[in-house]
Formats: sequence, structure tokens, C-alpha cells
Amino acid sequence: MSYLIRGKIALFIKVIVVTLFVSILLLLAQSAFAQKEYVIATFLLIAVLLLSLTYLTKISVPLKFFIPGILLLTAFVVGPILYTVAMSGFNYKTGNIISKEEAIVQIKVRGIEPAPSGLTFDIKLGTVDGKPAILASDINTPEYFISTLEERIPLVASSLTLNEYGVAVEAPNFTPLTDSEFSTADKLFTGTRFTFDDQYFIALEGFEAGVVSQQILEFVPEADHFKNLVTGAIYTDNGRGNYALADDKSAILEPGWRAPIWFENYSNIVTDSRVRGPLIRVFIWTVVFALLTVLTTFALGLLLALALNKPIRGRRIYRSILVLPYAMPSVMSILIWGGMFNTEFGAINALLGTEIAWFSDPNFARVAVILVNLWLGFPYFYLISSGSLQAIPSELMEAAAIDGANPRQIFRKITLPLLLQILSPLLIASFAFNFNNFNLIYLLTGGGPRNELDGEIAGATDILISYTYKIAFGTGTQDLGLASAISLIIFLLVASISLYSLRKSKVLETFA
Amino acid sequence: MKTKRFGFAGVLAAFALAVSTLVAPSANAATEIVVWADESRGPNLAKVIAAKGDWVSGYTVKVVTFSSFDALKDAFDKATDASGPDIVVGGNDWVPTGAKSGKLAPITLTAAVKARFNPTQFVDLTYKGKLYGVPVDINNVAMIYNTKLVSSAPKTFGEMVSNYKALKASKGLKAGLCIAGGGMSWGAHSVFSALGADAYQFNSRGGIVYGRAFNATTFGKNVRTFLMDGKKSNGFFPATDTGCKDNFLAGTVPYAVIGNWEWADYVAKGFTMNLMPVPGVAEGTYGKMFGSVSGALLTTFAAKHGVESGAKSLLTNFFASTDGQVRYQALEKRPPAEKGAQADSSVSAAQRGFGSAASLAGIPQIGAFLNSNKGGANYWDSAPAYWTAVLIDGKDAVKEASKLASIWRANTDGGKGDL
Repeated sequence: MSYLIRGKIALFIKVIVVTLFVSILLLLAQSAFAQKEYVIATFLLIAVLLLSLTYLTKISVPLKFFIPGILLLTAFVVGPILYTVAMSGFNYKTGNIISKEEAIVQIKVRGIEPAPSGLTFDIKLGTVDGKPAILASDINTPEYFISTLEERIPLVASSLTLNEYGVAVEAPNFTPLTDSEFSTADKLFTGTRFTFDDQYFIALEGFEAGVVSQQILEFVPEADHFKNLVTGAIYTDNGRGNYALADDKSAILEPGWRAPIWFENYSNIVTDSRVRGPLIRVFIWTVVFALLTVLTTFALGLLLALALNKPIRGRRIYRSILVLPYAMPSVMSILIWGGMFNTEFGAINALLGTEIAWFSDPNFARVAVILVNLWLGFPYFYLISSGSLQAIPSELMEAAAIDGANPRQIFRKITLPLLLQILSPLLIASFAFNFNNFNLIYLLTGGGPRNELDGEIAGATDILISYTYKIAFGTGTQDLGLASAISLIIFLLVASISLYSLRKSKVLETFA
Repeated sequence: MKTKRFGFAGVLAAFALAVSTLVAPSANAATEIVVWADESRGPNLAKVIAAKGDWVSGYTVKVVTFSSFDALKDAFDKATDASGPDIVVGGNDWVPTGAKSGKLAPITLTAAVKARFNPTQFVDLTYKGKLYGVPVDINNVAMIYNTKLVSSAPKTFGEMVSNYKALKASKGLKAGLCIAGGGMSWGAHSVFSALGADAYQFNSRGGIVYGRAFNATTFGKNVRTFLMDGKKSNGFFPATDTGCKDNFLAGTVPYAVIGNWEWADYVAKGFTMNLMPVPGVAEGTYGKMFGSVSGALLTTFAAKHGVESGAKSLLTNFFASTDGQVRYQALEKRPPAEKGAQADSSVSAAQRGFGSAASLAGIPQIGAFLNSNKGGANYWDSAPAYWTAVLIDGKDAVKEASKLASIWRANTDGGKGDL
């Protein structure tokens, strides 16, 4: 075997390339670390270690070929699956996104209420004896004072320098912050409670305004509960990611946090009629849609491949035209078809002279979905069928013809079985792809039509993945935990169907 | 063997050195306020803020622009402590979910700052009694009419229908009135309201009057009268918004409800901004339009980045100020939310036209109601189904309106607690 580059030059290039990759991964790891994504950061560091060990030592030659694939598989297949499994065990939804520690901090912030008087002051930030202080002005009363952490010092207007609006800007013993000192003001002043009276304090709302406020909710760490200081009500951890009143579970404090609920999302699929009801119907349509798509696209693609397999005039032009739908971005095609199927303004109704409500009638909408997918999918099967037809030895057909078989018998008994043997893995892959063909459904019908007025959640053309998307990212509450549970079920279904089909077609044995 | 051992040692040493650099990642400067905005607002905010750099003493402002409003929402949903913005310029309907999920932080405005805005605009940005941002610009729709097809502004809904029927054949009209902006729920609310289905009404103190909301019977009967020929649509009002804009611009639809974010497209095609609310059944009445505000929303990330007070100052000194909104809207060309900016001489005819339509018939969009699934369904998502059910499927206009009204009532009953 001869190599183009060898010796020290090859080693030098290898070190450069590995260093480049390792540097990029370290940069990503640092970014992940800074964003507190420790799992991602750890994975990237392990990847760096493995890449370095594999390519800079002689630990294993086969690993040099496998390690990129293993790392990519882990990052983009195994990782997301594990994350989905983990999330399906949490009440991960709108209102329960952040951690418990963060939720406690935010409830405390929201537990500060302005005084009923609504009293606010124009303020200047500064210091008194080197300690943080505010110079407060109420230009309506008018009233002026300095407030520190310990005391409130009333001032008379005559002792102050006022601006054109009557706001005090200078006072005896008060040193206002300079512009350059404002860069540290957030750190020094935010969250500081300046004295107002026994019940209330002044909280900053920016650097120019102070609001008379009081703390309504107090966190008691030892008891892990919040106490309402006005009513005395106690909010305890309800075990489902919220602090709630003991005698009124619906009275919760927001925000909540992600809490483990183990298999509840899975049991909801069975017990919650709003989820369970549509799911069965959606599953049946998903299977029908995927099967019909594979059958129609394969049938049309094969038909065209057979037709153009024979030498006819203009064959190259026909072949080029037939590949065009495949060359065009599917998003554009789908949107154009969506416009053409429009009931009032669409080209299809205009050409046919009909008023068919393509996207309002469930059956017409399903037909439209299949037709558009046929348009998008047949060039693929045309191309692979054409290629496969070339691979079938012509002697088989000739021998059959000599034995008296007619063209239809040759196709049924020889061509099709051989084609199916070659194309089985691709047909199964196409089924699996269409089982999760989110783009088509989302862009063409949005899963509709559905009768929202009668409380339908899933539309007539919703497939499992688009239905899951609605649950996860629809308006109102987004339930990512439930969507993760349904996603896992879809994964298991597609994996099972694909595995079963591959076994039945004996493709795996052939490969083995 | 020796080489192999050296290789291992080298790799491990390099790895340890690399890991040690990760321990103290560089932090963002604590005096930089980061604002996120969409592809339209972002560049204009960046220009305006850069032109006058002292909106907040001692702080710099960085505007991050996203490729679309949806991309901005998506990024904000996924934002982390390290990557998230201090202020996000987003939709008012982000407030309930953002507040509930702990991404938005409350702000208390002084009476002087509050007085700069119409009080109902704060309803849009409020969740459970707390305000989460300041109004920046008004998003509303208004009806535009094609003077080449109809000579004057219609006085009643019936007049529009009559005009359509009279001109349908001679002018080759494809519809009479269609929704080009805002969709069949939000944008079409002016048609719902013009025909009798009001979302809510307000008393003189700005409080919501729930009892008179959504009269299904009156509305359903008006739909039968003005939009139907027996069980079929009379063709005046299409059930979907697809193709509306193109057909209006092509002169095959005389009346269209358009959004204020796209008026420039109509001006470019030679249309003058003869804007008005959708006329009601009786002369002098108009369909109410959702006149929601976009808000500059304070995030909880600001506190984590150590710029909470600076961000609050930017909200009041720039976003909620006359000066800030005049400068910004001179580029953005939407109707400003702030009263002083609305009165400014720099406001364009289109901004003024949408503004006056909003002042005649604008009502706030209240996310607590519209985005709520309280009661099991969502008015926001369900309203388009009404038009389909009645105008395409030929279902009973009153019966279907009753279903929609039930959803609306369930949503408002559930959403009251979130205001």
C-alpha cells in the first residue's frame, strides 16, 4: 500500500488536525460550562480525551475509524433519547421549567408588594459616610429625605439643590454617585432595602425611582415553606413542583419547578380522556398515512421507471423533468401546494370549477396530504427503481420470454420480487420517515381540520409527531414531559415496526 | 512501550491543562444590558440606542437581533442564565407564560411613568397583578378599502355587502371583505365584533364588563343575514386568510383588514392609507379591534447578570419615554404606545391612521384570556373553526356561535384570576 503523505509530514498534519478539533471541542466545552450545562461540558471533555488518546497514541487502530461515529451517535441519538426518557419522568411544563432553588428566589422577589398607598419617589443614588444611601423626592407633596439602611433623615427644601422638575440632586452630607460609579451601582444598590418606616421599606425600581414596598412572602428554609406575612397562610411543597396551600391545592405560588412525577405522564396517556381519545385515532391515521404514502410513491415511481427504462424519444428530458420535484426544497413545494388547494382562491378549484373545501373537510384534507406527499416522494422511488432495474440481469427476462411468459407475468414473477428484495430496506426506511413526516403535516394542514368548537384536540390529518408537537408547543400550557412520554412511545413503535419488517424481509440476514 | 507511555502522559497532561482553563470561564461585562428583538425591531433599536448612548449612566446597551419574531420567541424559550437577555421586546401574550415559568421579572412603575400610557395597555403586560414590562408599540389592524372599486368609506356592514354584490360580476370580485393581517382569530375579531360578538367591554374606570360579552344569538343571526345565502356562504367573507393580501392588492377584493406592521407593502402598491375600523351593523358603530401592545419585558436574567436596576432604568428612560419612542418609531414606523410620542409631529399618516382606528375601536388583547386553556379549549385556536364550520361546512351560525361563546366564557372565567 502506498501513501501520498507519510512520515513526519503525516504526523505533523495529524497533530494539527487533531489539535484543531480538540480546540473547537474545548471551546464548546467552555461555553457549555459557562452556561452551567455540565452534562454537555462533561461529554465534550470525554470526547476530547478519547479523540486525543485515539489519534495521538497507538492504543487501538480500529478505534481510529469508529470513534467519530461513536461520539456522533452518542451526541445526536443516544443523548437525546436518554434526555427524553429523563424528561418524561418530570412535570416539565409551562410554570414548571426552572429549578427549585431558582423558584424560591423568584417567589421571594414576587413576594415584595408595593404599599397600598402606591407611594413612589424620585431618587438619586449616593453615599452618606461612605455607605449606600438614596436622596428621595416626592415633588407633589413636596417631601425630601435621605434614606440609608439604618435610618431616614428628613430634609427641608431650602437645604437642597433642586433640578428643573423639583427633584433634589444635592443635599448636605450626601455624596451623589458619579457617572463612572454607576457601573458598580447595580451591585451595591439592587436589592437593598432603604428605610421608610417600621412596616415598609424603599425598593429601587431602576436608578431613578424608589417604591415604598413590603415583603409579603417569607421563606422558612428549615420548614421548606413560604409564609404570607399578612394573612399567615403557609405554602408547603406539594411534591409536584409548587408551593401550595395545604387546604387548597389549587392555590399555588408561581413559578414552580421541575419535579419528578415518575410514570405519571405515561399513565396520563391512558387515563386522561383528552389525551387518550385522540391518540388512538391519530395512531391509526399515522399508520394509514405512512403506508399509503409508501405504496403510492413507490407505485408511481416504479411505473415511471418502467416506462422510461425503454428507449423512447426525449427520455433524458422526461427523466430531468421527473426529478424536478425532488430538486425543489420541499418546504416551498408544500407551501405552494397549500395555496393551490385553497378553497376560495386556489388554482385547483379554479381549474376543476369546483368549490371543494380541501382543508376543511377531513377526507379531502387527507387526500390532499397524500397527493402532495406523492408529488414530493415519487421522484425518490423513480430514481432508486430506475437504478435497481438496471441491476436486474436482462437474461432472466429474456429466458422467461423464451419460455412463453408475457410481459405482465415477467413483471409479477421476476422483476417485482427482485426489485422488492433490493428495495425492502428503503421501503421500510420510507415508512419510518413518513411515520414522523412532521414538515408536510405542519406546513400543509397544520394537522387540521379539527373541530375546536366541539373540543377536538387532534385534527383529521394530525400524525403522532404533529400531535405531540401540539401538546409540547401549542398555545397555552406547553407540556414537555407529556410530549416526551408520547415521543418515546412513537420511538418504540417505529423501532418495533421497522425491526419486524426488516426481519420479515430477511434483509438483516442478507447483510449478515 | 516507552513511547506509548509518553504518549499517554502527554495526552493526560494536555487534557488536565485544558480542563483547568474551563474552571473560570469569562463572564460578560456587568455593565452591559442585553436587549433581544426581532428582525424588524432589532436593527432600529440598535441604531436609536447607539445614536444617543447615555440612556443609562455607566451602562452600554447591546441589541441582539433574531431572524424572525418566531425565532426570537424560540430563543427566549430556550434561553439560559448565561445566554438570556436582560430585556426582550416581545408580544404581550408572552407575559402569562413567561411570568408563570419564571423567565420574566416584575417591575413597578412610578405614577409619572404610568401616566404616559393608556391604562388599558398595562392590562396586556400584567399577570396576577404584577407588571412585567412597558408598552413599546401598538399592534393593531384596521380596514382598508380600495377606492378604485368603492368610492367612499362604508357606513355600515350591510353597505359593504351590498357593494360587493353589486360589483361582483362586473369587477370580477373574488370576495368582499377578507382578513389580510392577524389571522382568522385575532385579525378577524373586528368582524366578530362588528356583527355582535364582543370579547369584553370596559367601564369608564377601565374595568372589564364581562356580562355583555359575546352575544351568540345576535352574532349568529347577523352572520346569517350578511354572510350567508341560505346554508351557503354568499362569498363576501372568506373563511380563511389565505390569498387575501394578494387579492386585495390585485383589485379583486374591495375591503381588507390589514395589520399595521405591513402597511408599507400597500403604500408601495399605490394604496393610500384610508383606514377605518370595520363598520358595524348600525351606522356609527364599529367592530372592536384587538389593539395589543408589544412590550419591552424585563427578564429574570437581568438580576442574574447583575444589571437589574440598569435594565429597569433603560425601560423607563428609553422604552417608556417620549424621546425614546419618537426616535424609535421614526424608524420602525409602527404606532407608538406612549402618549407624547403619539402626539409628535413626526408620526406618519399610516401610523396616525392605525392610531385613530385604534382610538375609535381598539381594545386590549388579554393573554390571560386568549391563551388560556381554562375550560378545556382555547378561544384563540377555536375562533377560526367558527368560520370554517359555518361558511364552508354550512353548519348553523347561531349554534356554532354558542359553542364559541361557551369557550370564551370558560376562558375568561379561568383567566380572571391571572389578571
